[in-house]
Amino acid sequence: MDQTRSLKRMANSGVNRRSVLKTTVAAGATALAMPYFYSRTAAQDPLKFWQFYAPGGDVATQSSWFEDMVASWNEQNEVQIELEYIPSSDYIGGSKLSTAFAANEGPDIFIISPGDFLRYYNGDVLQDLTPFMEQEAIDDFYPDVIATRAVDNKIYGLPMEVEPMAFYYGLDAWEDAGLTADDVPQSWEDLLGVAETLTNDERFGLLFETAPGYYQNFTWYPFLWQGGGEIVNEDGKTSGMNSEGGIQALQFWKDSIDRGVSPRQLLGSGGGDPVANMVSGFCAIQNVGIWAISELRENAPDFRYDVFKLPLPPNGTYTTDLGGWAFVANSKGQDPETAAQFCVWALGSMSEDSIQRGVSWCTEAKSDMAPRASVQEKATASGAFDEGAMKKFAEEIFPGGRAEPRVPPEVYKAVSDAIQACQLNAADPAQAAETAATQIEGFLATYDGAPIL
Amino acid sequence: MPRHRGMSRKHREWLAAALFLLPDVIGLIVFLGIPMVLSLSLGFFEVDGFGTYAFVGFDNYQKMFNDPLFLKSLRVTLIYVVVLVPALYCTGLALALLLKQDLPFIGLLRGMFFLPHVISLVVIGLLWKFMLIDRVGIVNKFLSRIGIDPQSWLGNPDYALGTLLVITVWFLMGYYMVLFLAGLQEIPTEYYDAARIDGARPWQTFRDITLPLLKPTSFFVLLVSTVAAVAGAQGFDLVYIMTKGGPANATSVLIFYIYQQAFQFGHYGYAAAMASFMVLMLLILTGILFVVTKGGRFDFD
Repeated sequence: MDQTRSLKRMANSGVNRRSVLKTTVAAGATALAMPYFYSRTAAQDPLKFWQFYAPGGDVATQSSWFEDMVASWNEQNEVQIELEYIPSSDYIGGSKLSTAFAANEGPDIFIISPGDFLRYYNGDVLQDLTPFMEQEAIDDFYPDVIATRAVDNKIYGLPMEVEPMAFYYGLDAWEDAGLTADDVPQSWEDLLGVAETLTNDERFGLLFETAPGYYQNFTWYPFLWQGGGEIVNEDGKTSGMNSEGGIQALQFWKDSIDRGVSPRQLLGSGGGDPVANMVSGFCAIQNVGIWAISELRENAPDFRYDVFKLPLPPNGTYTTDLGGWAFVANSKGQDPETAAQFCVWALGSMSEDSIQRGVSWCTEAKSDMAPRASVQEKATASGAFDEGAMKKFAEEIFPGGRAEPRVPPEVYKAVSDAIQACQLNAADPAQAAETAATQIEGFLATYDGAPIL
Repeated sequence: MPRHRGMSRKHREWLAAALFLLPDVIGLIVFLGIPMVLSLSLGFFEVDGFGTYAFVGFDNYQKMFNDPLFLKSLRVTLIYVVVLVPALYCTGLALALLLKQDLPFIGLLRGMFFLPHVISLVVIGLLWKFMLIDRVGIVNKFLSRIGIDPQSWLGNPDYALGTLLVITVWFLMGYYMVLFLAGLQEIPTEYYDAARIDGARPWQTFRDITLPLLKPTSFFVLLVSTVAAVAGAQGFDLVYIMTKGGPANATSVLIFYIYQQAFQFGHYGYAAAMASFMVLMLLILTGILFVVTKGGRFDFD
C-alpha cells in the first residue's frame, strides 16, 4: 500500500492531531472512571467493613466479637457484609483509608475516632444514621458522647465504646520506693514529686505520650481543660490555647521532661501501650486509657497495678478525655442505606441483641465504659464494674469526663506543634501557646465546615 | 520527477526503531508520564480527597512559601542531603577500598557490610529505636560505661536528625560499597603496578589513579544518592517508623511533610504542589551534576 497516500487519506478524512488527542483524552477518562462504574454496577457484592480488629486480629476476643456480629447479620439479611482487617498501624495515621476514599474506593462501613470525624464529614462521605434509629435509642446514648458524632441533630457515627484517660502505676515500683496509698497525687505538683521519688537510673517515674500525632493531642487535652483552656472557644472564632489554662498545661508537660522524670522516647507502640512501658519497668506511672485494663489482663495477668484519676492544677476543675471509636457508613458506597442499617442494627437499636453486643464489647472483648445508658446499666448489673480498676473508672474517673474533641487537621497540627515544641524542644509555653492560637484563629476565619467541638 | 514508491531506507529504519521503542515508551508514558503530568496539574487544584477539585491557580505555591512547616522541612531536607550524600560517598568508597584487598573470608566480610541493606527498613527502624531508647537502651548503657551521659538520641531535637543520618549511612553504605567495588575492579592493575615501580605512595596512587578512574562510578553514586536522599523511600520509612517527623518537627523531611499533608490532612493539591517543587529541585541538582561532569562523559572514555 502506498503509505504516503494512505496517510494523506487519513488526514483528509479528518484524522488530525486534534482528533487523535481528543480520542486519547476520552479513552483516558473512560479508563480512569472504570473503577467507579465497576463499583456502582456490582451491587450484589458484599459490603466491605474496614477496621483493625477482625478477621484474625491480635486479640481473639475482639476478633470473634466482630466475626460473630457479621455472621449474625449475614444469616438474617440478603445483603452480605464482609470484614476486612487493616493493621492498626496502617489504619491509624496510615494512608490506607484516605487513599481508598481519594480513589473513590472507600469501604462501605468503617470505624473512625472523633479526631477524624470532621475530615470525613466535611468530605461528605458520612451517611446520616438518624432515619434508621428509634428515638428511644437516640436518647439512650450519652449526649456528650454522641455530640461529637452528630451535626445539626443528625447522627453520623455510632460509638462502640467510651475510653477515659487516667494514670496507671505498678504497685511493686510504688512500694519499693516507700510510697503508700496516701501518696496518690492530687495535684500536678504532687504528681511530679511522686514521679521524682520513683525515678532512678533504670526507670522513669512518669510517662506521657511523646510521638506527635492525634493520640498525643488526645492525651494532652484534659490538662488544657482542667485549667479552663479550650482549643476553640464557644464563639467558634477564637482559640483558648493562649489562655492561662493552655500555657500551664504546656508548662506541665515541659516540666516533666526538664525535671528528668519523663522519657522523650517510648517503647513498644508508645504511650497507649502499658505492657511495653510500665510492665517492662521502663516507667512507674503511665498516662493511659481504660483499654489498658484488658491489655494487662491479656498480656501481663500477674502484674500488680492500680489507677488514679488525673490530678489537678491549682484552682483546676476535674475532667478527663473520653476517647473511643464509632461505626460509620459511607454515603458514597455501593449501598449506603443498608450500610447505615447495619450500623444501627449492630450498635444503635433497642433490641436485646444490640444492647448485649455493647455489653460484651465493653466488658469481655475490651475493658471500656459504654456509650449508652442501657448498655452501661446492664454491664454494671453483670458485675463488670464491681471491683478493681474498672470500679475506679466507673465511679471516680469517668464522671466529669469530656468527649474527645473533633478538630480539623489544621487545628490538630497547630496544637501538636505547641505540645511538641514545649515538651521536647524547650520552647517557652507562653510563646508556643500564642503561636498556636494565632494559627488556629487564622484557620477559623475561613473555616466553613461543621462546628468544631 | 517520479515519486518514490514506499519509504526510503532512512524512513524504514526510523519506523523500525520507533516500533522497537514503542513498548517501553508506552510503559513509560502510562506509568510515569501521565501520573507525572497529573501530579503536576494537581498542584493547581484544591483537592479534598473525596472527589472535590477546585482550580486555585498558583495558590498552593504561594501558600508553600508562607508555610513555616514547609520551610522548616526544606531546611531539614537540605541538611539531610548535604550530610548524607558526602557521607555515603566517603563510607562507601572507604569500605570498598578496605574490602578490595585480598583478605581471608573477604566474601563473608563484604556480605556482612551489605547485610543491613537486605533487611526490611521497618525492622531496622524498630531495632534501632529499641537500642536507642532513653536511659536504659543498649547504646546509652554502653556510652555511660565509657563516661558519656545517656541522651535521648531520637527524642531530643538536637540529636534526632543526626541519629537518623547515622542509621541511614549504616544501612546504605554497604550498597554503595558494592557499586564502588565494581568500579575499582574495572581499573586495570597495570596502573597500580606502574605506580608501585615508580615509587608512588598509597595516597598518591589513590589521588592520581584510583580517584580519576573512578569518575564514572562516582558520578553514578552521587546522582543516585542525591535522588535517594531527597525523594527516596529510605529517609521516609525511617522517619515514619522512628520519629513520625518529631520531636518538634526536627526530622520532618520534605517527603514526610508531603505525605502528611496528602494522606493525614487530606490536602492532595497542596502536597502535589510541594512534590512538584521537590522534583524541580532534584532536576536542578541533577542538572548541576551533569554540567559539572560534562554530561556524565569523562575524558578517558
